[in-house]
Amino acid sequence: MFKNIFVILATSLALAACTKKAPENDNTINYGLRTNLKALDPEQGSETSANEIIPNIFETLFEYHYLKRPVVLQPLLAEAMPTVSKDGRTYTIKIKKGIRFQDSEVFPDGKGREVKAQDFIYSWKRIADPRNKGEGWWIFDGKIEGINDWNAKLAKGGKPEEVNEAFNAPISGLQAPDDYTIVIKLAKPFYQLNNVLAMPFASVVPKEAVDKYGEEFMNHPVGTGPYKFESWIRGNKVTLVRNPNWHGGTYPNEGAPGDQEAGLLADAGKPLPFADKLVFHEIPEAQPRWLNLMKGALDFGGIPKDNFDNTITDGKLKPEMVSKGMKLWTFPSLEVVYIGFNMADPLLGKNLELRRALSLAYDGQTARKKFYNDRATIAMSPLSPDIDGYDAKFVNPWKEFNVEKAKEHLKKAGYPEGKGLPAIEYNISGSSTDRQMGEYVQQQFQKIGVQVNIISSSWPQFIERLNQKKAQMFGIAWVADYPDQGNMLQTLYSKSAAPGPNNSNYNSKEFDALFEQSEKIPPGPARIALFHKMRDQFVKDVPWIPTVHRLNDIIYQGWINNLKRHDIIRNSYKYIRVDQAKKAELKAKL
Amino acid sequence: MVSIANKGRSLWADAVLRLRRDPLAMVCFTIIALYLLMSLLCATGVIFTDYNVTDNAQAYQPPSAEHWMGTDLFGRDVMARAAHGTITSLIVGFFGAALAVAIGTILGALAGYFGGKIDDLIVWLYTTVDTIPYILLVVAFSFVMGPGLNTLCLAIGLTSWIRFCRVIRSEFMKHREREYVQGATALGAGHLRRIFIHILPNTFHLVLINFSLGFVTAIKSEVILSYLGMGVAPGTPSWGMMISDAKLELFREVWWGLAAATLFMFFLVLAFTLFNDALRDALDPKLKNR
Repeated sequence: MFKNIFVILATSLALAACTKKAPENDNTINYGLRTNLKALDPEQGSETSANEIIPNIFETLFEYHYLKRPVVLQPLLAEAMPTVSKDGRTYTIKIKKGIRFQDSEVFPDGKGREVKAQDFIYSWKRIADPRNKGEGWWIFDGKIEGINDWNAKLAKGGKPEEVNEAFNAPISGLQAPDDYTIVIKLAKPFYQLNNVLAMPFASVVPKEAVDKYGEEFMNHPVGTGPYKFESWIRGNKVTLVRNPNWHGGTYPNEGAPGDQEAGLLADAGKPLPFADKLVFHEIPEAQPRWLNLMKGALDFGGIPKDNFDNTITDGKLKPEMVSKGMKLWTFPSLEVVYIGFNMADPLLGKNLELRRALSLAYDGQTARKKFYNDRATIAMSPLSPDIDGYDAKFVNPWKEFNVEKAKEHLKKAGYPEGKGLPAIEYNISGSSTDRQMGEYVQQQFQKIGVQVNIISSSWPQFIERLNQKKAQMFGIAWVADYPDQGNMLQTLYSKSAAPGPNNSNYNSKEFDALFEQSEKIPPGPARIALFHKMRDQFVKDVPWIPTVHRLNDIIYQGWINNLKRHDIIRNSYKYIRVDQAKKAELKAKL
Repeated sequence: MVSIANKGRSLWADAVLRLRRDPLAMVCFTIIALYLLMSLLCATGVIFTDYNVTDNAQAYQPPSAEHWMGTDLFGRDVMARAAHGTITSLIVGFFGAALAVAIGTILGALAGYFGGKIDDLIVWLYTTVDTIPYILLVVAFSFVMGPGLNTLCLAIGLTSWIRFCRVIRSEFMKHREREYVQGATALGAGHLRRIFIHILPNTFHLVLINFSLGFVTAIKSEVILSYLGMGVAPGTPSWGMMISDAKLELFREVWWGLAAATLFMFFLVLAFTLFNDALRDALDPKLKNR
């Protein structure tokens, strides 16, 4: 009884802030974002929450087939997959005719203008423009002929006219011979180009909107996608509505084995998108997100660590949830969660023995149980499971949990028992669960005498600290952008240092050489051998403590059809159908 | 009926007498004293020394003979955490309130004593600050200065002085025209002497009441801010942090963390509030001879 009163008190408190009235039109998909949003600009789209929204508004040349596994690319704004020259250096891409930007005040008559090949080149230049400090520069850096010279000229700065002229100067590797043809010339072979062009970074944006809004473009996104931006109440929610002028698309006719039985092909051939409205609620705290899911205000979401035991037994959903029509979708994340050391930091970056000591002092097994309910694989390196090149048997010697050994290495580092070592700052983003994980790290290191101060900030501030290389030590995850270990390993390539994906600012000549070599050869055993060498170099230098690769358990409501989440397929909302009759019926039970 | 005021005791002696005759006040005072004693013993490492000892195998143990209030997520003793949380609360309460009272008293004294432009300026300052919701202001402060005990005391102190400033200002306005002040002026006392030696002691009972009120506000603010993740640094025992953990844990039916933090806070805040009332009754001359 006693405890129930507390539960009621706490739930009413938690809900007070986020109670939502059911919208009149129920053909809406509601999703709860785990972090606060920073920007809705593809150029700043390196974070998971923003990428949940951006691909609905903006589109790329290619997309991943919604159902097929392993994932397959298919044309989206492109007419077909590119034709590649014999030397593999020149890609010719035809784009679809008649694609229009969404209607917006930025166009002369308010009507969306047709998308031309030049628009893509403009959008990609924007990513490569050093003035924008975009997070996606790494996708083109060193890969496209002439782009680095162009970038260097802009970086020099000068008078506004000069800079503008430098921006408008052509790049030899990015050409548009006519309105519907793009020719990309590579500086060196780059086998992942098609994958990269399917990333939200490479979305097409209208120059008119960027010119009009300037930096405010991130609050006024205009693209070509199936959904138009309607509103964003900062810290609360983003609303998107169906774009009536969308160029169209149909639900796939074929899928992976088992999809037919799972009912994922019931809507085959039907026009997309199904839902009229998408609402993304910013709910960084796990409990209100869960409670909203339980009362049907959100349509799907993960299971917070503290609710796991009450939700799943033996890998199955509990009967009381099944009776409410809820379903479970489990998939492995293509990712690595890690504790990063800032290698640009004068203390941690220069002291290998100290990093080894900290790595040895971290008890990964207990963390896996405590924070992930054992629904995760212990990570030994940045290589992600379920992508070629992952070796489940590999053991990282510094991942052994051994306090005595850790103390020895701490002594070698020059700080016996932690004496003389200043407190290390561990940066986390601000939710209660993150704080608990932070406290866990603090306790682990305290055992060998290393003091840790936890710096907790909101997600946008946290990312800002990483981008400015200010975070001494931090907890974060990297989710693959495309199914390639090269994408995982570029988080350690020196040229993608912050604000790029190399948050730890790791800088190793040996690693860089191997990475550059791996970019030159096609996927295959030789490339995987290089990945393994890079992994070994990583293990030698300990720039991170890799912690886990998570398994995602997603609960979704009975009225949600066609849900098949995958980390790489980011534009899945257009395929999801809300069964409104069933929603009315099931919601009464919640 | 002979009034106690007629016997010619000082205000303070009179107040102490009144307080001692009030059983509720004495109970509250004892509770506060016990809290103080407990936090002193905690701080000096005499009792509850295991507040930071983690044992992950013992996580979420319900209350038992060994752990009276059970254990938390990391297997730490909840009772010990809550007891140590008292230290955090009392530190923040004391320094937060002391800072607020110091600022409020000085500004209020200057405004009330000098009047004119100085008064206009100070009134403008506090009305401006007062238009910003208090909790938002505290949140803004902790955002700028980063979390931590010092920040918390500063943030609370710098945002909650307005009420004190108002009270002291009006009291000074009343006093500056009184005969004893005029007498002091006639004897050649300067402004500072008149403010701090002559008038301030006569308003001191208000300072004390305000301090004690501020104490309760500061304790509550600490809990709210720590709950929101903007209070003391993670890892420091704090009631707010325990309640923040509890909001996740309740679904595991782990209620003891919330219960411990809430009960510890409840008794301290209740005792303080009731004691405040008694203190005001005892010290406010207007309420004498009731």
